Amino acid sequence: MFGFFSSNLITVVDGIAFGVLLFTIALGLSLVFGVMDVLSLAHGSLYLIGSYIAVSVSTAFTPTLGFFVLALVLAVALGSLAGAGLSFLTRPLASRGHLDQALLTLGVAFVVGDLLAQQYGREVRTVAPPSPFDGSVSVFGSTYPTYRLVIIAVGLALAIAAYLVIERTKMGALVQATVADAQMVRALGVNTGRLMTGVFAVGAALAAFGGVLGAPILNAAPGLDNRVLILGLVVVVIGGLGSVAGAFVGALVIGQVQTLGVSLAPSYAAFLTFGAMALVLLLRPAGILGKGRLA
Amino acid sequence: MTSDLGTSSRTDQAARPDTGPARGRAGRAPRLVLAAALLLALVAVPFVVPSDAANLLSRILAFALLAVSLDLLVGVGGMPSLGHAAPFGVGAYVAGITAKELTALAPVQLVAAAVAGAVFSALVGWLIVRVRGTYFLMLTLAVAELARTAADQWDQVTGGSNGLVGIPAIQVVPGGGPLLLAGFRYWYVLAVAALGFGLIVAISRSAFGRSLRGIRDNEDRMASLGYSTFRVKFTAFVLAGAFAGAAGSLWTVQSRFVSPADLGFNVSAMALLAVVIGGRGRLWGAILGAALVIFIRDEVGAQLGGRGPLLLGITFIAVVYLLPRGFAGLRLHRPGRKDPA
Amino acid sequence: MDIGLLVPQSGVYAPIGEDMEQGFRLCLDQAEGQLGGRDVNVVVADEGESPDTGVPAAQGLLEDGVSAVVGVVSSAVALGVQDAFTEAQVPLVVANAGANAITGPDVSDFVWRSSHRIEDVSGSIGAYVAEQVGEGSVFVIAPDYAAGREHAAAFRKTFEGAGGTVAGEVFTPFGQTENFQPFLSQIEQSGASAVYAFFGGSEAVSFARQYNSFGLSQNLPLFAAGFVTEGGELEALGQDAEGIQNVLHYSPQLDTPENQKFVEAYTAAYEEPPTVYSVQAYDACQSLDQALEVGTSGPEIVEGLEGIDTIPSPAGEWSYTDTHQASYTYYLREVQMQDGQPVNAIIRPLTEQ
Repeated sequence: MFGFFSSNLITVVDGIAFGVLLFTIALGLSLVFGVMDVLSLAHGSLYLIGSYIAVSVSTAFTPTLGFFVLALVLAVALGSLAGAGLSFLTRPLASRGHLDQALLTLGVAFVVGDLLAQQYGREVRTVAPPSPFDGSVSVFGSTYPTYRLVIIAVGLALAIAAYLVIERTKMGALVQATVADAQMVRALGVNTGRLMTGVFAVGAALAAFGGVLGAPILNAAPGLDNRVLILGLVVVVIGGLGSVAGAFVGALVIGQVQTLGVSLAPSYAAFLTFGAMALVLLLRPAGILGKGRLA
Repeated sequence: MTSDLGTSSRTDQAARPDTGPARGRAGRAPRLVLAAALLLALVAVPFVVPSDAANLLSRILAFALLAVSLDLLVGVGGMPSLGHAAPFGVGAYVAGITAKELTALAPVQLVAAAVAGAVFSALVGWLIVRVRGTYFLMLTLAVAELARTAADQWDQVTGGSNGLVGIPAIQVVPGGGPLLLAGFRYWYVLAVAALGFGLIVAISRSAFGRSLRGIRDNEDRMASLGYSTFRVKFTAFVLAGAFAGAAGSLWTVQSRFVSPADLGFNVSAMALLAVVIGGRGRLWGAILGAALVIFIRDEVGAQLGGRGPLLLGITFIAVVYLLPRGFAGLRLHRPGRKDPA
Repeated sequence: MDIGLLVPQSGVYAPIGEDMEQGFRLCLDQAEGQLGGRDVNVVVADEGESPDTGVPAAQGLLEDGVSAVVGVVSSAVALGVQDAFTEAQVPLVVANAGANAITGPDVSDFVWRSSHRIEDVSGSIGAYVAEQVGEGSVFVIAPDYAAGREHAAAFRKTFEGAGGTVAGEVFTPFGQTENFQPFLSQIEQSGASAVYAFFGGSEAVSFARQYNSFGLSQNLPLFAAGFVTEGGELEALGQDAEGIQNVLHYSPQLDTPENQKFVEAYTAAYEEPPTVYSVQAYDACQSLDQALEVGTSGPEIVEGLEGIDTIPSPAGEWSYTDTHQASYTYYLREVQMQDGQPVNAIIRPLTEQ
C-alpha cells in the first residue's frame, strides 16, 4: 500500500496542479450559469484569448516574471471587457432559454476561434515559464517542473480569495442570493443587471487569467478552446452548477481523474473523464455539492 | 405577430408548437398542398440538376431526419440532448456492418439501424431520462462521448479511427442492381426520409405526443394527473433514437463510410443547432435548419479556404437575433386567424 | 482541366494543408501552370479535421468533375473515399495520409500515394534503435488512434526483430492529452533506457517539452518518428527539440543539388523552409505532370502513373512500387541548433531505395 502511494505521490501533486488550473475556467462558467442562467459556450475562447496574450507578451519581451505579470494583468483587463460584452449580447435572450444562449455563445466561439487563428496562425505556439520558475525541482524524489508548483500556489490562492469574496462580502451574498432565487433578489430592488454584468466580467477575467497561467504547460493552439470548454463543463456539472465550492471540488476530482486515473488505468484513459461525469450525474444528479436545482 | 406562446414565464419553451388538436382542418389544408408540392419538387430534382446537387440533398435529407427526430425530443418532449449523434452513429455503423457482412438490401439495413438506435437509446435512456434540463444536456453529451470513444477503440468491429470502409452500394429490391447513380440513391433517401418525417409528425400529433407536450410544459402536473411521466419520456427517447438510427443508415447509404466522428460532439451540436435554428417543436423547421447547417458547412465552407467555421458562427449569431423563433417564426401571415393560446 | 487539391484549411491539420498547397503550387508554377503540357486549374477543397468534413469535401470535388485529386491528410478520409474514386474512375494521389492499408496488396487502380507509408517510417528506425540501446530496453508511446498504433507496431516489429527489448507501451487518448505527466511517470518506473515516440501537432509539442521539464531527457534518449520535430512542431519546440533523433524521408538540410535548388525556390516563394509535407505534395504534382502526358481521362492518367519510371524528388529519386507506393529513402535525422534555429540534420540513410 505504501509503495503505491509513494510511486504515485508525484502524480497526485500534478493532479492538483491540473485541477486548480481547471478551477479558473470552471469557476466563471459555474457562476455565470448560477447567476445569469447562461451556459456560456464561449468560455473556452476566453481561456484561449488569455493564452494568446501570453504568446504575444512572451514573443515581444523576455520571459521575466515582470512581463508574465503584465500578461496576467492584460488578460484580466481584456477578459473582463469581453465578459461584459458577452453579458450584453446574452441579455436580450434572457427569457429564451438555454438553447438560444448556447447557439449564440457557440456562434461567438466560432467567430473568435477563427479570428484568433487568423491573427496567430494555426501552428502551435509555446510560452516559456517566467524565468525564476523555468527549471525543475525534486519533489518526492522525482524531477518536477517548478512552474507547476507555482500554478498550485496561485490556483489555491485564487480559490481561497473566491471563497472569501463569496462568503464574506456583501457582493458575494448578493451573488449567492441570485443563484438561489434571482426573482426574489430583483423584487428586493437590487440592480441585477449590473450584478450580472459584473459576474460575467469576473468569470471571463478568471478564464483569461487561467489562459495565461496555463499557457506555459498547455501551449496555445486552435482547438484548445473546445477542449478547455468541455473540461470546464464536466467540472461544473460534477461539482454542481452555480457553486464555488462545487467548482473547486469538481476541478480537483477531474484533475485527479486525468492524472492519477490515467496513471492507474492507462488502457481506459479515454473513457475516464466522461465516465466519471456520467457516474456522478447518475449517483448525484445535481453534482457532488449541488443543491438539487435540477431543472 | 400573433403569439401562441401563452403567458408562461418558464424559460425553456420559447417556441411552442401549434400542432395540437386545436388547429382547425381549414388551416391544415393549404399546408398539406404546400407539403405535397415541395415533395414533388424534391422528387423532380435529379431530372433538373446534376448529380452533385442530388448528393448534397441526400446528405441534407439524412441529416434533416436526424434533426427532426431530435426535435421530437427537444421541442416536443423538452429534453435537450447534446448526444443525439450517438444513436445516429450506432445506426450508421450497424447499417454499414449489415451492408458489408449480410446484405446490400437497403430496407434490411434501415430496419437493423432503426432497431439498433432504439436498443441503444433504451439501454442508456433508462438512466438518462431521469434527469432534466442542463443535467440532461450534459449526461447525453457524456454518453455520446463514451460511445464515440468506444467506436474508436473497438477496431475489430468498427475499423477504429480509420473508420468502416468498403461498404457496398445499396440495392433496393432483392436481385436488383446496386444503386450507383446519385439520382437513384437520392430517391431512396428521399422516400425513407419523407416516411420518417410523416411518422414523427403523426407521433407528435397523437395522444402520446400530447401527453409528451404536457410533460414538457408541466411535468409535476402531468404526474399528479396520473401519467407515468417516466414511461412517456422514456418512450419518446427510444423513438427518437430509432429515427436517429434510421437517419444514420441513410447517411451511410450516401457516404458509404462511417467513422467515430459520426458519433462526435460536432454532429450532436450541429443537429441541436439545426433544431434551434428551425424553431423548436415545429418539426418542419428542423428540416430547414438542417439544410442550412449542411449547406454552409459542406458546400460553402469547403470553398472558403478554411473560413467555414467563421461563416457558421456568424450565421448562428444572426439567427439568434433576427429569427427569435427560428425559421418556424417566419410563418405566412394569415389574417383573421388567431392561434389558440 | 481541373485538378482537385483536397487539404485541410481549417482544424488542427491546417498547417500541414498549407505546406502541401505551397508545395503543389510551387511545382505548378515551375511548370508554368501546365501539367503534361495541359493548362491546369486548381480547385481547392477544405478537408477539415475529420472524415465528417473530409468525405463530403472529396465527394464535392468528384461531383465538380475534376480530372484527378491530390492531397488528403487524414488516413480515415483517404480510406473513406477510395471506393468513390474507384467508381468515379478518377485518380487520387494521396500526398500525406500514412495508413498502411491505403497502398495495401489490394490497392485500387485509381489510388496512388506520393507520400510516406507509416510502416516505412517507424519500421526503418527499429534496427538502429536496437543497436543504440544494446542490452537496455525501450518504452513505446503514441496517441491512441489508428496511426499511433501503426507507428508503434511498425517500430516494434523491426526493433524486436533486431533483438531489442520493449519495456512497455502506452497509448495516450488522442486529441485530448495535454498533460503527459502520468505517462512520463509510467515511463520512469518501467526501467526503460530509451523511448520511442510518435505524436503530431500540439501533442508532439507538449510531449517533447514535458519530456524535458520532467527531466527524462537527461537519462533516457528520445527517438521519434520525424513528425514530432517537423514544420510547425519543430519551430514551436525550438531548443526543446535539440538532440531528438528521428526518422523521416526528407529534411531541407539534405545536401544534394536538387534539394538546394528546391529549398531556394521554395524559400523565395514562401519565406519559410519547406517541410516533408511540401515535398510530398510537390512530388504528387510531379507525378501528375508525367502521367498527364498520356491523356486526361481517369484510365489514361492511371496508365500514365503506371508508366512513371522515377520521380526527381527533392528528397532523392524514387519510383512507385507495384502497390502504387512511393519508395522514398528514409533518413536518420537529429535536431541540431543552427544560428539559434533548430534544424533536422541528416545523419545517414536508414534504408536503401
